[in-house]
Amino acid sequence: MGLYKSKYTAKPLPPVDLPELRVVGKPLRRVDALAKAVGKTVYAGDFSMPGMLYAKVFRSTVPSARIKRLDVSKARALPGVACVLTAEDLPDGKLVTDIPGQTGQKVRKGSLTSVLARDRVRFVGEPIALVAAETLEIAEKALEMIEIEYEELPGVFDPLEAMKPGAPIVYEPDNIVARWKIRKGDVHAGMAEADLIIENTYRVPFVEHAYLEPEAGVAWVDERGVINIRVSTQVVEHFRSIAKAVGVPQNKIRTIGTMVGGGFGGKEDITVEIFLALLAKHTQRPVKLVYTREESMMSQSKRHPFIITHRTGVKRNGRIVAAEIDLVADSGAYPYLSPYVLLYAVVMATGPYRIPNVRVDGVAVATNNPFTSAFRGFGGPQAAFAYEQQMDAIAEALGMDPMEVRRINYLRTGDTNATGQVIESAAWLEETATRALEALGEKEPDRGSVKIGRGVASYFQSYGRITWLHDTSRAWVGVELDGTVVVRSGVPDLGAGQVNSLAQITAEVLGVPLDQVTVYSTDSALTPLAGTSTATRQLYMSGNAVYQAASAVRKVLLDRASKHFEEDPKDLDMAEGRIFVKHNPEQSISLAEMAQICAAEGLPLSNLALFRAPFTDPLDPENLQGRVFPDFTFGAQAVEVAVDTETGEITLLKSVACHDIGRAINRAAVEGQIEGGSSQGLGYALLEEYVMEEGIPKTVTLSEYLIPTSMDFPPTKAIVLESGSGKGPFGAKGIGEPSLTPAAAAVANAVADAIGVRIHELPITPEKVLEALKRIK
Amino acid sequence: METKVVTLHINGRTHQIALPPNRTLLQTLRDLGYTDVKNGCEKGDCGACAVLLNGKPVNSCLVLAWQADGAEIVTNGGLGDQAHPHVIQEAFADAGAIQCGYCTPGMIVSTKALLDRNPHPTDEEIREAISGNLCRCTGYVKIVEAIKLAAERMAAAKEGR
Amino acid sequence: MLPEFELLMPRTLSEALEMLTQAREGVAPIAGGTNLVVDMRGGRHRPSVLVNVAGLEELRGIRRENGHVVIGATTTVAELLEEPLIAEAAPVLWSAARVFANPLVRNRATVGGNLADASPAADTAPPLLVLDAEVQLTSKEGSRWVPLDEFFLGVRQTLRQPDELLTAIRFPVPPSGAVGGFYKLGLRKADAISVASVAVVVEVGEDGTCRKARIAMGAVAPRPIRAYEAEKLLEGRVLTPELVAEAAHLCAEATSPIDDIRASAAYRKHVVEVLARRLLSEERR
Repeated sequence: MGLYKSKYTAKPLPPVDLPELRVVGKPLRRVDALAKAVGKTVYAGDFSMPGMLYAKVFRSTVPSARIKRLDVSKARALPGVACVLTAEDLPDGKLVTDIPGQTGQKVRKGSLTSVLARDRVRFVGEPIALVAAETLEIAEKALEMIEIEYEELPGVFDPLEAMKPGAPIVYEPDNIVARWKIRKGDVHAGMAEADLIIENTYRVPFVEHAYLEPEAGVAWVDERGVINIRVSTQVVEHFRSIAKAVGVPQNKIRTIGTMVGGGFGGKEDITVEIFLALLAKHTQRPVKLVYTREESMMSQSKRHPFIITHRTGVKRNGRIVAAEIDLVADSGAYPYLSPYVLLYAVVMATGPYRIPNVRVDGVAVATNNPFTSAFRGFGGPQAAFAYEQQMDAIAEALGMDPMEVRRINYLRTGDTNATGQVIESAAWLEETATRALEALGEKEPDRGSVKIGRGVASYFQSYGRITWLHDTSRAWVGVELDGTVVVRSGVPDLGAGQVNSLAQITAEVLGVPLDQVTVYSTDSALTPLAGTSTATRQLYMSGNAVYQAASAVRKVLLDRASKHFEEDPKDLDMAEGRIFVKHNPEQSISLAEMAQICAAEGLPLSNLALFRAPFTDPLDPENLQGRVFPDFTFGAQAVEVAVDTETGEITLLKSVACHDIGRAINRAAVEGQIEGGSSQGLGYALLEEYVMEEGIPKTVTLSEYLIPTSMDFPPTKAIVLESGSGKGPFGAKGIGEPSLTPAAAAVANAVADAIGVRIHELPITPEKVLEALKRIK
Repeated sequence: METKVVTLHINGRTHQIALPPNRTLLQTLRDLGYTDVKNGCEKGDCGACAVLLNGKPVNSCLVLAWQADGAEIVTNGGLGDQAHPHVIQEAFADAGAIQCGYCTPGMIVSTKALLDRNPHPTDEEIREAISGNLCRCTGYVKIVEAIKLAAERMAAAKEGR
Repeated sequence: MLPEFELLMPRTLSEALEMLTQAREGVAPIAGGTNLVVDMRGGRHRPSVLVNVAGLEELRGIRRENGHVVIGATTTVAELLEEPLIAEAAPVLWSAARVFANPLVRNRATVGGNLADASPAADTAPPLLVLDAEVQLTSKEGSRWVPLDEFFLGVRQTLRQPDELLTAIRFPVPPSGAVGGFYKLGLRKADAISVASVAVVVEVGEDGTCRKARIAMGAVAPRPIRAYEAEKLLEGRVLTPELVAEAAHLCAEATSPIDDIRASAAYRKHVVEVLARRLLSEERR
């Protein structure tokens, strides 16, 4: 198609005044790195206790059925089996998979999922019974001795089918799990004003998180009668739902989060916790449960497949005047976070563009597929795959440069997005996109049947939770009498460096080297609750909480030091473990000495801070006009691909991602997020699909479900911009989820640029390339 | 199933243990406390369980423990510890090559085997050598950088710099 | 956990053969275990007795013997890559070894195991087919050499009898004029199962005519197959682009692929023709 120019020049950046910092922003070795490098870190599955039992879960093998008969007596009788539990043994074992009221949706019957299926199974892999035995071998043998008879019921496996009258109902009253609408301006008038209307439908598949660490945990009942669960999770606050499901008070469940071996949203919902708590409670012995890879794939959530139709009205000059967007998401067999994921996709559906007249209708639909829930990007990448291909389709229809069409329509600071939320921070869209394109350099020439193409995708993605969820985080910071520092925060560390960021922020505020900070984290009983490691919220939320707590301690120390030096506190500073007078650094005292002085005088050397995000009221789901998120990250990715038009094979030649991350706390960690997020996004583009056939998963191993290897993609070059305009500490924004969002759309645009025909469906396999080429022949 | 006493030399220590035939080397190592060897798939698809078996990197999940009778086994934990990390381990930490860390032990084992045989690998050779070790966090960018850094440091140490 | 089985640990080949003979039904030899352990874990294969042949000296090594290259059955794929004889005499096999699974698996997977497993997508099969390889099947009663092309019967079915062991692979050292290539199309650039693969070896005379052509294909039929019609068409003729295209078409005609999660049958048929044409065109130069 040759839509793109062969060369682009970066738009100059507006001047930004960022103060030089001592610890923050530096690519320091993360505090967790060396222990992980030598294999010392004790992950959830690495932990054992004396007298421990081994658990296994008995799961459904059919996607839709009534359980006619379940007989666990033989399994119970097997020597070495300590406990077999079914729904009969836990009459109140309900797990809330939706949070009614918070989403503005009606309370749905399916929202209350049975922890163990009683008489109905709705997807392959649904848990039915639990076994705990003296050895793993006995537990597995016991599973084989459980007898079950199903009466198979008609299932529904396609969300469009599921919405039709007469479709099998997954759970009452109908298959509609959630609906959200945006109504802005007058879309009919807008379309009437348009010179051209462009309509396309985009499709994205189920995708698997494929973290390297399968779900795992160990639970035990302690001498207080508290059920302790040491588990790989993104959310220690689940102790509340666990308590409800197990039938104990909330203060009798303690969740101890481990270093997580990858989460990406897949360990945001409860995994092994309730099973472990139930078995520990029933046996009063420690119990360990580790999923196999196949079980991990079958039993946990997937990224939502979406069908997204864009109808865009544009003027000849490239201005978008109206957008009508319909989104259908497959929510699978239970709601879980589908209402929220749909909301994100609906809010992001227009892309980062100023569009005066907007109609968006989103619906999440129940099917007998695996349940879908959080996955890095949370609806954002699905939306971006559609809106950024639509931008190139518009450019093509108008005969314009794709970058030019974007430039004309980009949101700018002070504009409102589709929900009427004002963009408050820097919106460096053109800056990031042109930088990414520029860094691609000169385009390579075609080589016979191998065609070269390039593409770009811009995006905006929220960081921080939906503002009507009233998000908070707590953190505790204290200085010890030798000048070392302790941080306590409930933050789960998924490997993105959540713990390290808190250490680096604290080290900056209290002027100590990074290795002087020890962080205790992820314990629902002993560390202040920091909320979930999800929604790209931890740096923003817990970073601010830690910043507040450390600043409060700093104030105590400097106030006391000001007496000591007879200087104003604002003329003092802290660095390298010392407090000193700025205009005469020779005049200084060690942090240890000052801490001892403060302690002797009874001054508080610690602080527990609470950070609150902006709180808003829920919006009207019929029009969604108002604030939905605290703020957004903006950025872009550009790629160059080679497409073999005879075999359909696609080779990624170059990839550049440019994001304004506000302020880097740890530059290496930021780059790591961008490189890794890009890799997942590129896998989404070219490799990954969790294949379902009539509710039966076909790709439950890592040889069938293909994630990128080291050979698949060249390194994504990360260009890190710092506007300093974010709402996080030191002006930081979030980058965890945003780093994934634009990749697939950029690849799709590049493939279209190369071969002259657009592929509207992920993943873009060799076979789809050839099918697309056939269409134009 | 009949058990058999198997001798395993692991990280310089010798273990003699009675095992039934259906135990993999991976299970055996983890049961013995070598939990730095990770279980990611048990099907040879991910490389998290990689160890050096008589000097060669292999998926320990595909080796029956009996087949390793008498073998020399080195796990990542055998290369160094926090007080005395191996140069590769240190390079991984310094280069930001570690995010969740779950693939790291296997990745370092493959790196060790590579640098033993090829002290100055190209980027392509590095990518090839770790292509059986999946990582879902890093996109491999900083892992490749870490391996280059380790190679440089090893060469520098050899030259006494 | 792996299911229960008995594991026999012979110290010599003759002990191993005796064990294979004595064992009840459901006996299987195990070497690298890269297929068998996976299949046992997935429940696809439940042998009750395994005979470990991994350490047997008699099955090791690559050597040149009477104009043949002889490869011991438990030679690992990694050892193929390390052995200069393979790179020199059979680059088509070396190329396949290079894209075989991944380096960790290559250190365990054996050539004999890859062939005996008889997956339609076995990566060493097409190159060995074009090298006119034979496999040695040995039992207590003695040995027989079987052309590899006759060895494969169907999906995971071979001529090997339960009391036999695949002990060696051999192929004639190709003449110096023989050139060849291998291409594996997988859905990712490493550690992928073939969607389709093609191996080609041709000998072209000074006058430009093709003296001998061998083409084999993987993952496009119930077993790795030769493209006889295409080979016949090429032999004795000059490899013009038209002839090559026709031969490539005959390659596709020889296939009977299936639809699976990796690709459709139609795609496989199409792509095998492209790959065959490209490999043959390269050899024309």
